Amino acid sequence: MSLRVDQLSWGHPVPGGSWRQLFRNFDFLSPSGQFTVVIGSNGSGKSTFLNLLAGTLRCSTGSIRLNDQPLQQLPDHRRARRIGRVMQNPLEGTCPGLTIAENLRLAAGRRRSAIGWRALTGVHPSRGDRSRYRELLQQLGLPLADRIDTLVGQLSGGQRQTISLVMATLGQPQMLLLDEHTAALDPKAEATVMALTDRLVRQLGTTTLMVTHSLDQALRFGDRLVMLHEGRMLGDWSAQERQHLTPDDLRKMYVSANVTQNS
Amino acid sequence: MISLWLGAYDQGLAYASLALGTYLTLRVLNFADLTVDGSFALGGGTAAVLITNGVPIPLAMLAAMVLGGLAGTVTALIHTRLGVNDLFAGILTTTGLYTTTLRVVGRSNIPITDITPVVNWPTLGQGDDGRWGVALTCVMLGMVCLLALILATDFGLALRSIGNNPTMARANAINQGLGLTIGIAAGNALVAMAGAMVAMYQGFADVTMGIGSLILGLGMVIIGESVFRPRSVPLALFAVVVGAIFFRLMIAIALQLGLEPVDLKLTTAVLLLGAMSLGHIKLPGVNASPLELASEPAALAGSEGEVDAADPSQGERP
Repeated sequence: MSLRVDQLSWGHPVPGGSWRQLFRNFDFLSPSGQFTVVIGSNGSGKSTFLNLLAGTLRCSTGSIRLNDQPLQQLPDHRRARRIGRVMQNPLEGTCPGLTIAENLRLAAGRRRSAIGWRALTGVHPSRGDRSRYRELLQQLGLPLADRIDTLVGQLSGGQRQTISLVMATLGQPQMLLLDEHTAALDPKAEATVMALTDRLVRQLGTTTLMVTHSLDQALRFGDRLVMLHEGRMLGDWSAQERQHLTPDDLRKMYVSANVTQNS
Repeated sequence: MISLWLGAYDQGLAYASLALGTYLTLRVLNFADLTVDGSFALGGGTAAVLITNGVPIPLAMLAAMVLGGLAGTVTALIHTRLGVNDLFAGILTTTGLYTTTLRVVGRSNIPITDITPVVNWPTLGQGDDGRWGVALTCVMLGMVCLLALILATDFGLALRSIGNNPTMARANAINQGLGLTIGIAAGNALVAMAGAMVAMYQGFADVTMGIGSLILGLGMVIIGESVFRPRSVPLALFAVVVGAIFFRLMIAIALQLGLEPVDLKLTTAVLLLGAMSLGHIKLPGVNASPLELASEPAALAGSEGEVDAADPSQGERP
């Protein structure tokens, strides 16, 4: 399930009536199953890139192909069938008014059409569904396995993000997009969610892009590290090359890129 | 005296479908649908014209529901395809529906003189009131069971997710536009059904009978939710129906206490305000203050540890 982005362009109006062209003929290739960590300063285009891939934003020119199939022509819901997403805000990735089992059922049914006659057959989540989800959460070592009928709105941010992550990996997604999904969590919850992320991505073998501001995460996780700046790729390191980097090296690159831009 | 209570019970059940339709659009889909005012009158007018022309009651009601559903579809399409705000989309359709209903009915009101029931319902010794009571109880029980079943399927789950968190619904490949359209159409079909039942019950349909329907339906939903505080969808549907009956009972009590019919709308508004305040008034030892209620869900603020310490039974479905 390789991801290929060719000649992607995207810009947006800024206050004052001018136009900011963030991405200009941007190319990106990720081989099947690669776990890419994307870093960069605020406004560098990290989250925008993920939104363009997910279809939340539409690129003006260029092509995005997942497993050699173009994504742009697909309507939102069909594109979403192929992509698992975890958002930055734990409140966005789950339905607070539904139980854990109901949220998982929604995600597991991503490949089916939920609005149609076939979706009217059977009461879900059934007992079988619930026991499967309980087993899945137990296998992942999550204490939430015993609280499958708890409303997600009653969970903490970390727990919600854990459920959101499990949901994103259900339904056999062809690509996983993680947008600063640990940014709103405390260090303990962050460690739990990152350990689970690493485990699920390895198990699933799906092409994954993870945006983060944490340099520690950037140097510890993934097969590849990419640094974006103003919609351009400022650095691209494999896991081996990354071993020679320190957080200070990355910080210096951030600063020098910003200094160059301002001058 | 018993006829007064039975009458209020019957009226409550006749209006219950309006409350269920409002619940579906407002609570399940989180869509403030003002089409309700138009589709209620459209349903009543359609049923009245058809019954007067000798069409069997079930067919007349079905036709009313179909037209109500179409009205809802128009609102949904204006909202989803043209990007018009939900309130404006509803107002536009309702404005157009006034003319549509006038065209269907042919004049401003139409009497329903001859109702031939398909089923000979028992009277329970209470005459027509008893017969209405039995018939409406059976219809509404069936409707609640059907809705509860539909909302428990994958389709229902998808509709609930659209209202609960549209961002998440989109991310999970749910066709939000289609879901909203079907849900709003179904909600308005239910409202049109209520219009048909009310028209049959009161013996006439009027083009202005829908004015204030949304607030009426909302009031019934709020009363039901305030009294029962339901934690599951089937219970919420049941609560909404009972809320409709309570609402009509309160009106009946007000009339019994000597209230003049001209003061009815003001009384309705005060009753609704009272029902809405129920959740915000702190009764020592009975309920928590709004602030305490707001801080209940650990949501974003909490860490793993915080929630582990919370009562795990909170939020469990019964």
